[in-house]
Amino acid sequence: MRSILLIILAALAVVMSVTAQDKITVKGSDTMVILAQRWAEKYMAAHPDAVIQVTGGGSGTGISALINGTTDICNASRPMKPSERDKLKQRYGSPGVEIKAARDGLAVYVNEASPVTELSIEQIRGVYTGRITNWKELGGPDQRIIVYGRENNSGTYVYFKDFVLEGADYAASMQSMPGTSAVVNAVAKDRAGIGYGGAAYGKGIREVKVKAEAGGTGYAPTLENIRSGNYPVTRFLYMYVKNRPTGALKEYIDWILGDEGQKIVNEVGYFPIR
Amino acid sequence: MAPQFLKVIGAVCVVLVLAAIPARSQEDVATKEELEEVEGALEGLLESSAEYRGYVDALRKIKISGYLQPQYRNAVVMDQAYPIGSFSGGLFPQYTKSMFQVRRGRLKVTYDNITTQMVLQVDVTERGVGIKDAYLWISDPWVRMFALKMGVFDRPFGYEVAFSSSARESPERARVTQTLFPGERELGAQLTFAPQLGPLSFLKADLAVVNGTGPTATEFDNYKDIIARASAIFPLEDAGAEIDVGVSGYFGAVRRTTKQLYSMGTTSTGVPGWVADRDTVSLGAGIDRQYFGTDMQVYYDMPLLGGTILRGEYVFGKQPGGATISISYALPPTGGMYQRDFNGWYVYLVQNVGTSFQVLAKYDIYDPNTEVEAGDFVQGSGLTYADLQYSTLGLGLLYHFDENVKFILYNEFVRNEKVPSTSPSSLAAYRDDVRDDVLTFRIQYRFP
Repeated sequence: MRSILLIILAALAVVMSVTAQDKITVKGSDTMVILAQRWAEKYMAAHPDAVIQVTGGGSGTGISALINGTTDICNASRPMKPSERDKLKQRYGSPGVEIKAARDGLAVYVNEASPVTELSIEQIRGVYTGRITNWKELGGPDQRIIVYGRENNSGTYVYFKDFVLEGADYAASMQSMPGTSAVVNAVAKDRAGIGYGGAAYGKGIREVKVKAEAGGTGYAPTLENIRSGNYPVTRFLYMYVKNRPTGALKEYIDWILGDEGQKIVNEVGYFPIR
Repeated sequence: MAPQFLKVIGAVCVVLVLAAIPARSQEDVATKEELEEVEGALEGLLESSAEYRGYVDALRKIKISGYLQPQYRNAVVMDQAYPIGSFSGGLFPQYTKSMFQVRRGRLKVTYDNITTQMVLQVDVTERGVGIKDAYLWISDPWVRMFALKMGVFDRPFGYEVAFSSSARESPERARVTQTLFPGERELGAQLTFAPQLGPLSFLKADLAVVNGTGPTATEFDNYKDIIARASAIFPLEDAGAEIDVGVSGYFGAVRRTTKQLYSMGTTSTGVPGWVADRDTVSLGAGIDRQYFGTDMQVYYDMPLLGGTILRGEYVFGKQPGGATISISYALPPTGGMYQRDFNGWYVYLVQNVGTSFQVLAKYDIYDPNTEVEAGDFVQGSGLTYADLQYSTLGLGLLYHFDENVKFILYNEFVRNEKVPSTSPSSLAAYRDDVRDDVLTFRIQYRFP
């Protein structure tokens, strides 16, 4: 009986191994999805044998996919949580590899028609926690603020909550949007709207200058301001893999971190790590 | 689930809007009234969409997960004078040495409101339906370092107790863990210190106050037990490794319900064994239940092969129990109470081979009574099966078929302390190693 069970299991394993496909899958952050697609397109153009499949879904979704083995690379706009690292360790026996792939300035958007051009971190926190509800409190018209944000599987949602709201809950009135582009579209159509997201999505709406302190100087999320550290809401964009990469995976990651990959980072509107 | 749902709603909205526009020839021009009508219809649909989004956002807070572990077990022999399989997935009934069973059938529902949670988990098998988790969880909104849990939850002692059966490589926990913490859970309240960010984020500490009667029994004495654990994570990123360490303590008591309280000493026949304390004045006093433990987990990303896990735990202390059983009480003690000094440990070595295969070797020892040796099990000592030391070597192969399905083939080689030929007849079977090895073949389905 034992021999039969062993043989069945071994045969099943061999069949499944043979049917496995040899391609690189990338899943995760919606903030990074355009960047990841550009990387993949350029890389596949230069390496005809390479097959790279990119999908979004949010950082949390990507991390779950990495843990359950359905993606090779997870893109995340926030660091992995301790509980997620635990699951990765338990499943693969490896603490995983974190790769900083780019920097991002998290922009705060208002409608182009809004007279508000500058906000402090404290004011943004007030808006997103529900303490400030009218534009007149921010130097704008007497109009209710319509707050747009991301869904809770988004790394941007988590980053914004941790570093801008300092862990406080979002206002219940915040409208959760499925992607940063959806936030941008909503704010572009809503004169009373405010939203946040990656600087790369900032086309067509206005990014306000952000001040670290109420009486300080406001800075726009530009390359210079992010590099100099003046812009107060910046973050790394990460890639996570289960094990130290080898073979085709390593070649692809090395390419992303190299000159060509980092040039694309700049083209898409993010900021190179070097 | 939710994004797909919204896409469907969006698609329906688009179709409805298009349907609302009357068909017209190319030369027709839409009048202002008609355009306003369409705009009105669109606004109405957007309002409906916003309403649905509210429903979806509410539904997203409800998370359902679960796993099912049907399995086949095979023992070497049946119908012996000793129990087979008690710590290997359950006792084999009479006339049986092989069986199919559903080892665990878990369904967990979590209502997650970010800073607060409610969790209910049930276990559904052919043996019935039982409660596993039933607790609320509240995180502090101020410094974001503390959380309170209350209800039925995993005891925060050591590593293996709270290590989910769905993620664990071996089908069962070590004998020492099963003995000290049957059912793994407890009724009580727990405070956790776990900074998510900043320089202290490598630390975690838990402090729990529990009934001490297990997950399903109502409190039967007035003694509350305290469980504490502190752990730390040390990443070694350049080496592709990580070391996690923890220390734990259990400080509890069981109410003395009998005159017959036994402790180890020299018996009236002059041999080491159980000696009764007939101090009736101490009835109702607390009999110590105290454990101390340390655990370590090492993770190493082995180049070209896959991750390696080495995890171990050592526990020692005092355990009150019965004459023939040292498992923690889940009912008020009846008959004599026996105070044993014990120790036990386990070590797992798991090697990932690629991302689909895992090879496992596990070894554990449980010595329920450290004050006796094999040669002490003689007539007049009062020593029983519950005082025997056991070691178990487990060898296994795991195959992760996909993100949901896992196959486990695992064999346990169970070895008992061999008692001398002068031992009482009740221990005659243990004069040699009893035949209680068990083979387990399990398929697990887990979602999400």
